[in-house]
Amino acid sequence: MLSWSGNEQGIEIDLLTVQAATGGVAVDFAHELVEFATAATEFDQTAMTKSREALIACAGLAVTIDAAAVIANFEMMTRLADSTGARMQTEVVADRLFIATAMGVDQVVSRR
Amino acid sequence: MTVSVNDIRADLMRAHEQAWSALSQPGTWWSGAQRRELATTALMAVREAEPLPPWVGVSSVDGKISRSPVASHTAHDTVYRIARHAATLTSDWYERVIQEIDPLAFVELCGIVCTVATVVAFRTALDLQVPELAPAKIGEPSRKKPQNVVSATLNWVPVIAPADIDAAVVQAFTAVPETNRLIWAMADAQYIPDKEMVDPNWTRGTLSRVQMELIATRVSQQRECFY
Repeated sequence: MLSWSGNEQGIEIDLLTVQAATGGVAVDFAHELVEFATAATEFDQTAMTKSREALIACAGLAVTIDAAAVIANFEMMTRLADSTGARMQTEVVADRLFIATAMGVDQVVSRR
Repeated sequence: MTVSVNDIRADLMRAHEQAWSALSQPGTWWSGAQRRELATTALMAVREAEPLPPWVGVSSVDGKISRSPVASHTAHDTVYRIARHAATLTSDWYERVIQEIDPLAFVELCGIVCTVATVVAFRTALDLQVPELAPAKIGEPSRKKPQNVVSATLNWVPVIAPADIDAAVVQAFTAVPETNRLIWAMADAQYIPDKEMVDPNWTRGTLSRVQMELIATRVSQQRECFY
């Protein structure tokens, strides 16, 4: 979805930068958004406060609230997918394997 | 700068409040007391600084859950494992769980965990207090089983026919319609309304689609979710 939406908007996405938590290329506030998402998923209160304040400072309150909502959504969807054994069709997995490899999730237990 | 609940979009607040209050109400397969108790275990699981490892059942550790729980030990163990270690789940694990929990009750249980995880994540990210769970509402679960529940290829859990037409995550909760409704109401408000999913340029005027996907990708990668 990230590659697709980036392509559609003419934005080059380097998935390795997302994996390394350094932010995507040419996406506004990418670094701050990735930092915020990373802190939120690592239960690090100090990092969360710092990254939230940084995002509010550069992107504003409404963007920060909606970023928190997207984080929350994927805390939900990852559990939904993993608990119900959700998987993609074989051909879709094959098409997207390079993305999974780039993100380092091709070896995770939850692959099906 | 601090964030106030008054800053949050009304549609998002409404979706969260609806799902949160349902945690203490009778569901389709679990009573209000059971749902509330399982939600409490999910809350503990997502908040613990030092969680139990995946192979330890929460019910086996003294003081973690009530000595006389209204939901079974297996239900509590299942909730804790999904809430904190979802990426470690396997089909063998699911097969063992459904020896003791009906597959549709399992689906509802997953919905309880999803609700707790999403509301806690949102509130914690914004340094907002997580609301208290309401007292359990008395009443029996409806036990309404849709007529067209079938097995799926793209999920372990049963779904509403026709199976495997929609994406696996979209069909996953369909066999428990009330759970499905509450979860997707939150997804619409938190992420992208279902009808807008095909538009790569859709925005609420805050985050662009590519910014949303950047966050989604990072969270999914952190949670080691292959899907």
